[in-house]
Amino acid sequence: MRQFKLPPQIVRLVILTIGIVGSYVVARQLFMPKSFGQYGHYRADAIFELAAREPRYGGKKSCDECHSEVLEKVAKYEHKTIACESCHGPLKAHGDDPDHHDAVKPTSDLCLRCHELNTARPAFLKQVEFKKHYADKGKCIECHIPHQPNEVP
Amino acid sequence: MSNCTSRRNALRTFGGALAGILGFSAAKTAKAVVQKGLVTTSAPKGYDPTKHKWLMGFDIDKCIGCGSCVDACKAENGVPQGPSYFRTWIERYIIKKPKPGSGDARGETIVDSPNGGRNGFPPSLVPREEILKSFFVPKLCNLCVDSPCVQACPVGATFDAPDGVVLIDPKYCVGCGFCIQACPYGCRFMNPETKVAEKCTLCYHRITRGLQPACVEVCPTEARIFGDLKNCAPEDPIMQFIAKNKLQSLKPHLGTGPRVTYANMDKEVR
Repeated sequence: MRQFKLPPQIVRLVILTIGIVGSYVVARQLFMPKSFGQYGHYRADAIFELAAREPRYGGKKSCDECHSEVLEKVAKYEHKTIACESCHGPLKAHGDDPDHHDAVKPTSDLCLRCHELNTARPAFLKQVEFKKHYADKGKCIECHIPHQPNEVP
Repeated sequence: MSNCTSRRNALRTFGGALAGILGFSAAKTAKAVVQKGLVTTSAPKGYDPTKHKWLMGFDIDKCIGCGSCVDACKAENGVPQGPSYFRTWIERYIIKKPKPGSGDARGETIVDSPNGGRNGFPPSLVPREEILKSFFVPKLCNLCVDSPCVQACPVGATFDAPDGVVLIDPKYCVGCGFCIQACPYGCRFMNPETKVAEKCTLCYHRITRGLQPACVEVCPTEARIFGDLKNCAPEDPIMQFIAKNKLQSLKPHLGTGPRVTYANMDKEVR
């Protein structure tokens, strides 16, 4: 009986196919990031790498841990919606280490960022033309207290 | 005798190879564990992006154009200082009165954003009596459902995360800039230092820790409202905002499905 033998061209083709598929599998293993495809057609680890950045603003809650009496005071007046860090700058470093003092002491320029008269500003906001309102170019805090804007010193 | 030695040698070689392979894979696993531990030490633990859906809303009537948000965004995210790099910015719209006898409902619209509104806005050059109405519009990434930027990216570096935030993988971005061209809202820019595309991530490192985005945190008038639609009560600010306002999105005709919503928006805003 004649034994069946695969023609050599078929053998070569099979070897070639296995080689191509094999190298694809190896390349996929080597080059594809592990988390790829976990949530979609992208590297899922990127989500957590982006989340790993350290915040600089601590948030109102962290201020409340030590300065609750100031927050309570501010909450009674017109400036109640303003966060501490809105005027005093990013302060997470101070929250983590209370000895680290980097709070900004705002100047009159900061008051005018919101309260200088501007036609585009909504009417509910109290606005002044600074040059006419206080011609001597003094400081706003001579007459107004930022934490209690309704009161006069 | 020689036969026996060769078998022993063969077994030894085989055993050595096996141990080598096992040792190599064990070392690789150990390395991965160590790397994971190092990378995620500062990252928020247990954040599951499939269990959140973030949304940002703006109340245009409340924006006073102070620029605190732009300043805070730059500080929080290390955005380059130059006047053309912004993750969020404020535009001032001035709509003039129509020319008398023209029959138009409104006149020319002038939009400006000096330094993104970061230092506030100077008094407008248009005299007060010529202005029909004027207002500020804060802008940032619109969190599109069908994002043109995601479709344009040739390397799959930008993607829609399951929590609704469109993010950029800085390790995969090749800096080709196609996404910057594709964004119809002009929300992206090329970072001149890292040479990768950048845009608002809704302060991803903050929201995953339970904090609010920096711009929302510092906004003095609560013109920016932020919340998680999957974990919120009806009395939360975001739900109140949605319930009490008539909402619009920017350029709805483009079919991008922006998830950022605006309340009290005029039709001139684009």
